[in-house]
Amino acid sequence: MSRSKKSFARRLACTLIQRWVGRAYIEEFLGDLDEIYEDRLAAGGKFIAEAMYWVDVIHLIFGFSSTVRKQSHTMVIGHMIKIAWRTAVRHKQFTILNLLGLTLGIATCLAIGLYVYEESTYDTFHANGDRIYRINQPMIWGDWSEQFAGTGPGITEAIRTDIPDFEQVTRIMYVGEQLTRVTIDDEATHFNESKYYVAEDNFFKVFSFPFLKGDPNTALKEASSIVITASTAKRYFGDADPMGKLIEARSTTGAYTPFTITGVLADIPTQSHLQFDMLSSLSSVTEFKDNRSTWIWTIFGTYGMVREGTDVAALTEKLQALPRKWAGRTTEGVFNQTFEQFTKGQPWTLYLQPLREIYLAKSPSFNRFGPSGNPEFVTIFGAVGVLVLVLSSINFMNLSTARASNRAKEVGVRKVLGSEKNTLVRQFIIESVLFVSIATVAALILLQVSLNAFNTIAEKKLSLLLHLNNPYFFGSLAAFILIVGLAAGSYPALYLSAFKPAETLKGKLRTGFKGTGIRNGLVVFQFTVSIALIICTFFVQKQLSYTRTIDVGISKDHVLQIYNMHQLGEGVDVLKAKLQANPVFTVVAKSGFIPPNVWAGDRYRAEGPDQPVVDIHYMRCDENYLPLLQAEFITGRNFDPANAADKYNIIINEEAARILGYGSKETWGDNSPLGKFVVQSFGSEDKFQIIGVVKDFNFNSVKQRIGPLLIMHNDNEKHWSYGVGFPSYLSMRLNPGSVQNGDALQGIIDGVKAEVAKIDPSVTFQYSFMDEEFDNTFHEEKRMSVILNLFTILAIVIACLGLFGLAAFSADQRKKELGIRKLHGASIPQLVFLFSSEFTKLVALSIVIATPIAYLMTDYWLSNFAYRTPIDIWVFIFAGLTAMSIAALTVGFQSFSAANTNPVEVLKNE
Amino acid sequence: MSRVIGELEELVLLAVCILDGDGYGISVKKEVERHTGRSILLGAVHITLYRLQDKGFLKSQLGGSSEKRGDRRKRLFRITKKGMEQLRASQDIRQKMWSLIPQLNPGS
Repeated sequence: MSRSKKSFARRLACTLIQRWVGRAYIEEFLGDLDEIYEDRLAAGGKFIAEAMYWVDVIHLIFGFSSTVRKQSHTMVIGHMIKIAWRTAVRHKQFTILNLLGLTLGIATCLAIGLYVYEESTYDTFHANGDRIYRINQPMIWGDWSEQFAGTGPGITEAIRTDIPDFEQVTRIMYVGEQLTRVTIDDEATHFNESKYYVAEDNFFKVFSFPFLKGDPNTALKEASSIVITASTAKRYFGDADPMGKLIEARSTTGAYTPFTITGVLADIPTQSHLQFDMLSSLSSVTEFKDNRSTWIWTIFGTYGMVREGTDVAALTEKLQALPRKWAGRTTEGVFNQTFEQFTKGQPWTLYLQPLREIYLAKSPSFNRFGPSGNPEFVTIFGAVGVLVLVLSSINFMNLSTARASNRAKEVGVRKVLGSEKNTLVRQFIIESVLFVSIATVAALILLQVSLNAFNTIAEKKLSLLLHLNNPYFFGSLAAFILIVGLAAGSYPALYLSAFKPAETLKGKLRTGFKGTGIRNGLVVFQFTVSIALIICTFFVQKQLSYTRTIDVGISKDHVLQIYNMHQLGEGVDVLKAKLQANPVFTVVAKSGFIPPNVWAGDRYRAEGPDQPVVDIHYMRCDENYLPLLQAEFITGRNFDPANAADKYNIIINEEAARILGYGSKETWGDNSPLGKFVVQSFGSEDKFQIIGVVKDFNFNSVKQRIGPLLIMHNDNEKHWSYGVGFPSYLSMRLNPGSVQNGDALQGIIDGVKAEVAKIDPSVTFQYSFMDEEFDNTFHEEKRMSVILNLFTILAIVIACLGLFGLAAFSADQRKKELGIRKLHGASIPQLVFLFSSEFTKLVALSIVIATPIAYLMTDYWLSNFAYRTPIDIWVFIFAGLTAMSIAALTVGFQSFSAANTNPVEVLKNE
Repeated sequence: MSRVIGELEELVLLAVCILDGDGYGISVKKEVERHTGRSILLGAVHITLYRLQDKGFLKSQLGGSSEKRGDRRKRLFRITKKGMEQLRASQDIRQKMWSLIPQLNPGS
């Protein structure tokens, strides 16, 4: 066989031999190998020859690198592992501290890694996901500079006419909570579906949610078709085949419309920003037929799939022509405003938002059809994860270098015996990689054990097991071990291997105590991070408890509110009268919204020429609701049930008075809003008279400033909005005397539930307390604070582990010094002080550095809130003292035992 | 008493003697395999050859290439005087010990 025909494997083997076996032997070995290869090829075939070639190569490499060459890598590695093990066992305290710190750090980092991975891989399962975009527009009902995910159906019609670059454009629509009914064997069961949407027939051409039954192309074609998910099917029909069965949906009039099941979907993956249990066909919606070209019916989400190879930037450019061309008809028809008047000159920009970015995008601030992630959380978590990992790596470095002087003699002896610097570096790096590997395995176990708890806090369904069959996971884990191992091991490796044998063997290094500077720097870094975290955590807590005590302007305690009252229809008044008769409740009132969730808004202006059109929130209620809230009237009066005209009168808040141009209460003497008319700036332009002005109260989260609010009567049918006359909520102010304990409260709730069921058993009973609802607006922040607390504790624990290790080391180093001092008459307190001050100085320095950093971070975070807790100086002092005392306790233990040692013990062997 | 050598070492020494100047890795391997009936790895032969050379029982020189070997030379081993003595000594030891086995010498 000629050389050129040699297989790659054999050439590789040759290279290996040349690399690992002494040059003197190469010629004969390769010759022998080739010769025997030929023999084997003739005798046993190519496979055997090839395989045996390799066996021989490896055997030769091993054989000759160990017996013939001076030094062999394999032997040395084995030896290194042995030495690493012996050192680890000899210094149990260090080993445990090291492993504990690293394990905690790695486990935290992994947990956060899982979280970040989960958050940033939403919507990746759609086949054509990279070509799908959501079309967003400005928040046309408020701040036009903000993005809004809701779009009118007209956009889709315009795109289909004008823009050929889209392969598909599809619409999905939210209709609110939907009452449904299913009849099996003449027995009707009712459900309240919150994840019920309406979608256009080409929905599944864009999104590839997998079908278990039915045809994705035709499932939503016909009117009255509905597609449900597998678990919904199970909920309704058990194990029976749901295909072709009927589900009835209740319309606003109370009548039930049947829908035929035309498809069953696999359950929607958690990592989808669209979350639905049921999708009915858009062709079933009667209002849609007349309004398909409107631009202001913004309850749709519009998704487009562009053709392959489309230039998205150019396409976005093209889209901008649409609003001017098409939306004018809508604004003229509905608001009697030209396009320019409606936009007030602000650009009606259309945005193409890539599907995969929707979940974690900062804007638009909510997703309409499913969960949205918080990019700030991901950033904060990511940063904290890296920080904790860095902290624990620093520990590792610190403890290893501290130990260095103990191992200096070992290094010296090795050098004298001919160890090269490279070999030593390799030894220390291998030791460190070995440590990190062990810590990683421990961290994986720890994480698996504690993941459930973490999931509860983070409200996620993270799973480690899911990743265990993913080669990338292991690849990144291996890379992770190598990087951390190298990073943590490099400093001690280079530091230790640079020792001069003569000096270390003479014992110079013991007195020199080199490396203190860097080590102290690292300790300062660790404590700076810990203290900054303590301060930030503290302010998060402080802000949260502050928001709970903010005076929202209404009395939010003791208010029980029940939902879905519109489902009762006229029955709500019967229920109200019944509850009103109960002495447990002081007031009972109907309303269309409840603070802190008054989201609806519309466009109004004060009556008169040239008055500007302004956006104002509105809320509907009856004459009992404002008294129930204990809202304060500045001027004017509440609705009067005896006065029939009050049905069309309104009450506004101070902010609305200001924004409508009536000035503040000081100027009302000349220009009182009372008796003035407010015009709704659309449709028939009906006007309503102001009969009262209430003091501003928070009708949304206290994160926001109080906006303008218009309160109209429940039965005001001139003002268009959903469910006129049938308010969604019934609120009750509890008599504080009757709620002595939890049981009594539960009794009251059960009583109300029974009353509702008496009127209509199909109504879903749902309740809440107003103060809890206000608290819930801080749900995200609370979650963040819990997690931040956890990490702060972890960071402190890790920093203390490091400090403890260093103190132990230092105590060992200085035992002779302390012994001599003691002999000369130093008292134990003096020694403890002397010894501790070395470390407390570092912590003091950390406090100085951490304070401004923490101040800036806190200030930045607090700027998100309309009402802020003051940045008090005492928090900084408190955090500093906490860190200092934790550090003192950690070091104190060591220093006390060092100072307490009998000097004879340490001085006798010299 | 002279140094004791291992079994494989002895076999390799014997093979080199038999091959009489033509002993190199593969021929030695084949010779040993032929007489003992068991297969040994090339590397083991090489290691043994070099160990014996280090102990001074063998000497070697490069020579005799062939196309089959990609024109690379072989290292040809020859036994030294010391090696010969060693072989003899091993033989003697064995002989002495054989003669001391009572079962084989019923007369004494």
